[in-house]
Amino acid sequence: MNAFGKLLKFSWLIILVVLVITGGFLYMIKTGTHLETNLDKYMPAKNPAFVYSNYAEDLFNIRDGIIVAVENPDGIFNPGTLQKIKDLTKDLQKLDGIDKSDVTSLYTADNIVGSEFGMEVNPFYSRVPKSPEKLNRLKKEVESNDMVFGRVVSKDEHSAVVIARIKKDVFDSTFYNKILKIAHSYEGPEKIYVAGRPIVEGTLGKLMPQDMKLMAPLVILVIIIVLLIILRSIKGMILNLTVVLLSTIWTFGLMALFKIPVYSVSTLIPIMLIAIGVAYGIHLFNHLELFLEKNPGADKKDAILDMIKNMWKPVMMAAITTAVGFLSLLTSQVYPVKYFGIFTAFGVMGAMAFALVLIPAGLSIFGLPKTGKFLGQRKLDLGRKPFSHRFAEGILNHKLMVIVTVSAVAGISLFGLTRVWIDSSFLSNFEASSSIRQTDKFINDHFAGTSSFNVILGSQKDDSFKNPAVLRLTDDLQKSLGTLKVVGDSFSLTDFLKRMNMVMNADNEKFNTIPDSRDAIAQYLLLYEMSGDPETLNSVIDYRYKTMNLTVQLKSDDSRSIKSVISVINGYRSRFADLGISINFAGSGYKALVFSELILKGQVTSLLLSIVIVIMLLTIMFRKIRIGLIGSIPILLTSIVNFGVMGLLKIPLGPTTALISSIAVGIGVDYAIHFIERYKEYSLFSSDKMEVSRKAMFHSGRAILFNAVVVISGFLVFLFSIFPPNRELGALVSLNMFTSFAGTLTIMFLLLYMSNIYFSKGDKK
Amino acid sequence: MKKIHSAILMLVLLAAAAGTAGAETLSGLQIMEKVYARPKGPDIQSELTMTLINSRGSKRVRTIRQFIKDYGADEKKIMFFVAPADVKNTSFMTWSYGNSSKADDMWIYLPALKKVKRISSESKSDYFMGSDFTYDDMGNRLPKDDTHKIIGEEKINGEDCYVVESTPKNPDYFYSRTVSWIVKGEWIGMKKEFYDEDGELLKTLTINSYKKVNGYWVITSMEMDNVQKNHKTIMELKDVKIGRGIRDSFFTERMMKRGIK
Repeated sequence: MNAFGKLLKFSWLIILVVLVITGGFLYMIKTGTHLETNLDKYMPAKNPAFVYSNYAEDLFNIRDGIIVAVENPDGIFNPGTLQKIKDLTKDLQKLDGIDKSDVTSLYTADNIVGSEFGMEVNPFYSRVPKSPEKLNRLKKEVESNDMVFGRVVSKDEHSAVVIARIKKDVFDSTFYNKILKIAHSYEGPEKIYVAGRPIVEGTLGKLMPQDMKLMAPLVILVIIIVLLIILRSIKGMILNLTVVLLSTIWTFGLMALFKIPVYSVSTLIPIMLIAIGVAYGIHLFNHLELFLEKNPGADKKDAILDMIKNMWKPVMMAAITTAVGFLSLLTSQVYPVKYFGIFTAFGVMGAMAFALVLIPAGLSIFGLPKTGKFLGQRKLDLGRKPFSHRFAEGILNHKLMVIVTVSAVAGISLFGLTRVWIDSSFLSNFEASSSIRQTDKFINDHFAGTSSFNVILGSQKDDSFKNPAVLRLTDDLQKSLGTLKVVGDSFSLTDFLKRMNMVMNADNEKFNTIPDSRDAIAQYLLLYEMSGDPETLNSVIDYRYKTMNLTVQLKSDDSRSIKSVISVINGYRSRFADLGISINFAGSGYKALVFSELILKGQVTSLLLSIVIVIMLLTIMFRKIRIGLIGSIPILLTSIVNFGVMGLLKIPLGPTTALISSIAVGIGVDYAIHFIERYKEYSLFSSDKMEVSRKAMFHSGRAILFNAVVVISGFLVFLFSIFPPNRELGALVSLNMFTSFAGTLTIMFLLLYMSNIYFSKGDKK
Repeated sequence: MKKIHSAILMLVLLAAAAGTAGAETLSGLQIMEKVYARPKGPDIQSELTMTLINSRGSKRVRTIRQFIKDYGADEKKIMFFVAPADVKNTSFMTWSYGNSSKADDMWIYLPALKKVKRISSESKSDYFMGSDFTYDDMGNRLPKDDTHKIIGEEKINGEDCYVVESTPKNPDYFYSRTVSWIVKGEWIGMKKEFYDEDGELLKTLTINSYKKVNGYWVITSMEMDNVQKNHKTIMELKDVKIGRGIRDSFFTERMMKRGIK
C-alpha cells in the first residue's frame, strides 16, 4: 500500500484540513487580492525600449488623448456649437487628471496669422462670436489655417474635436465615467463622440469583466452537465469539480498571500486549471469504473486502493511535467507572464494532490459511484467490439493515411504559422459594429486619427534642430508618411516653422517651406515664444533644441499599421544618421507593440524550452529516449496547429492568445503520459501489440476523449460571447484540447506502436 | 494687443520712492498706490539677462540690451538681443499709451528676414518671451483694477513689510488674487504670490537684490517660480543707467534695423 493508500484512513481529517486551509485562502483572496489594470505596470521597466519611451513621454508630455468630437450636421460655425466647444474645453480643463494646457480645441488653438503688415498669434475666439460677419470671419480663418483645418475642425465643417491629454496614472473607471458624463451632457442637437485609447481601454476594462461574469457560470454549468453525462454520478461530478475549484482557490489565495496582483493574463489561470485539473479526476474515475466493471461487487476499499495504485504514478508524472512546462515561462521578461507560469504550476500540482488525496477520501466517505453507468460502459456485453478497439485497429490499419493526414495538417499549420501576425490593438477587441468602433471610425473619417505614434529624433548636440537640412529631411519624412493610407496626419516643429515662414512672407504659399538659414529658424522660434504660448512648442522640441517629437496620427491602432509607419521611418535612418540624428519611438501604441512582441518571443522560447524539458522528463520517467521523443509529439503538434490556425484564421497574437498555447504543454503531456503508461502496463502482461493497443485505447483513450469532450463543450460557451477576444479564447482552448486528444490517439499512438518499444524481441511474454 | 514692458520698468515700479506719506494708518490701496506712483526717471538703459529653467533643469539664457524712455503717460522701449548668437540683433520696439484705450504698437526686426514686422497678441496675461512673467506681472497693472486689503505685517530679510492682498475687480482675470510684501517706508515689493483661478498658488516672485541708481530704486535680481509647472525665470540687470538722455530718434524702425554694436 503506498502513501496515498495509507492516507485513506484519515479521510475525514484530510477533508477537514483541506477545508480549513481553503477557508484561509478564501479569506486571503477576499482581503488581499489586488487587481492591476494599469498596463504600464505590466511592462518590464528596464527594457531599453520602454525606458526610452517613458523618458520621451515625460520630456514632451506625450500622453494618451481622449478625443471628444462635437458634430452638428448644420455646421459648427454657429454660436450654439461654438459655445459648446468652449464650455466642453473648460470643463475638461477643470478636471483633476487633466492639465489646463493639455486640452486642445478650436477654443484653445493658436491662430498664427499674417498679412503684409506682420504676424499675430491669437486665439480663434474667446467670446463666442454671434453676428454673421464675425462667424463668417472665424470660418475663413479656420479654413485658411492648416494647423487646425482638418486637425481640430473637420474639413466638411460639420464637426470639431476637443482633445484632452490625461496625466499619467490617473485613468481609472471613476475618471472614465466622469469624462463620459461630461462629454455626453453636451449632447443635442449636436452629436457627441468620445474616442481615444484611454476610452477604448476603459470600455474594455468595464465590459470584459461583465462578459466574464456572464460567461464563467455558463462554462461551469456546461462542464457540470457534461461531467454528469459522462460520469453518470453526482458524486463523481462534485469530486471532479471540487479538485478544479480548490486548486483555483488555493492558487489565487497564494497570490494574495504573496501580494502578487491579479493581472489580466491571470484570468487564464483558472482556464488552464479547469482544462488540466478535470483530466486528473476523469482518469481516476475512468480507472475505477473499469476496475468495478471487471470486479463486480468489489470492496470499496479495494477499488479505491487499486485506483490509487494504478493511477498515482501517471497522474503525478503528468502533473510534474506540466508544472515544469509552465515554469519555463519564468524565462519571460514580463512579470505577469512569469507569475502566470509559477502560479499555474502551483495550481497544477495542487490539482494533482487534490485528485490523489481528496477523490479517494471523498469516495471512501461518500461511497463509490454506481457501476455500469459510466458512459460507453453498457455496450461492453453486447458482443460488439467497443469503439475504442475499432478505433485503435482503424488507426493501425491506415498507418499511411494517418501519417499523411497528420503531416498535411502539420504542413498547413506551418504555412499558417508564417502568416501569424501580432496585434496589440485595443480596438480590435470590439466588434466592428460596436458603438466604440463606430465612434472611432467617425473620428478617423473626419479627422487625422484616433491613435498616435511618436517619432523621437535626437542628437548629441544642442541646437541641432535649428539646422534647415535636418528640418527639411523631417519635412520630407512627414510627406512620405502622409502617403500611407493609415496615416491621417503628422505634426512637428516643421509645421510651426512653415506656417510662420509663410505668414511672415505675406501669406505667400511659396514660403510654406522650411526657412533657409539657421538664424532665420532661431529667430522664428524666438518670435513664436514671444507671441504665442511657449508651452505649445514644448511638446515638439526640447529646451536645448536637440530632441524633437514628431507625432504621427494613425487611423488604426493595429500593429500592422504601426509597423508600416516604422518601416517608412527606417528608410530614413541612414540619411538622418548622416546629419548626426538618431531615431527612436515612443508612445503607448508603440509600447504595446513592443510588449506584445516580447510576450510572443518569450512564449516561443518557453514553449521550445518546455518541449525540451518534457522530452527530458519523459526520457527519465520511462527510461527511454524514444519515449521522450514520441511523448512530446502531442505538444509539438498542438503548438503548431494552435499557431497555424491563428495564422490561417487571422486571429492576431496578443498577450492572451499567445499564452493560450501553454495549454498545449499542460494537456498534451498529460495525454501522452497517461496513454504511454497504460500501454506500458498492458505490455507487461501481453506480447500481442494489437491487444495491448486495444486495451490502452480502451482504458486511457476513453479517459482522454472524455476529458477533451468535457473541456471543449465548456469552452465552446465562449463562442457566444460578445467579445471577439473571449470568442477566440474559447475557440483556441477547444482547438488545443482537440489537437492534443487527436494527436495523442492517432499519430503518437501509431508511432508508439511502430517503434516496438516494450516489445523488443520477445523479452516480454 | 500684447504689451512689452521691460523688466526694468517693473523693477522700478516695485521699488517706490523713499519717504513716507506721514499718516500712520494706510489703506491697502494707499500702499499699492505708493508702490505704483514713484518717480522712475526720464529714461533707463541696462543689460538684462533672462535665464529660463525648466522642470528638468535645462536652461535657456538670453541677454538683451534695452532702452526705455518716459513720455509722461506714454512710454517707448527698444530692445536688442545680444545672445544667443543665432538671434543676435533681433530687436523689438514697443510704444505703449498709458491710460488711453489705444492699443500698444509693437514691432519686431528679424535680421535673417531683414524686415521690420508688426506683431500683436491679445492679452496681458500672455507670458513674456517664454518666461514666467506675464506682461501684467511686469508691472503695468493699475492699483485701481484691484481691491486691496492689508492682511498682516511681517519681517522679510530683516525689513518690516506690509502684507497686502489684492483681488481683481474683474472676476475673469487670470489670477484670483495676489499677495504682496511691501517694505514699509521704502515701498519696494520684496515678494509676491500669485494664485490661479482655482485659488491655488501658481507663482512666487522673490527679489534677490536691489540698489539705488541715480537716486532711483532698481531691483537688480529677481526670480519667478511657477510652482505648478516647476519652471522658473531669473532676471538680472547689469550696467543700469538712468537719466543719461536717450534721443527720440532711437525709438525708430531705422534703429531696429541698425542694431547696436
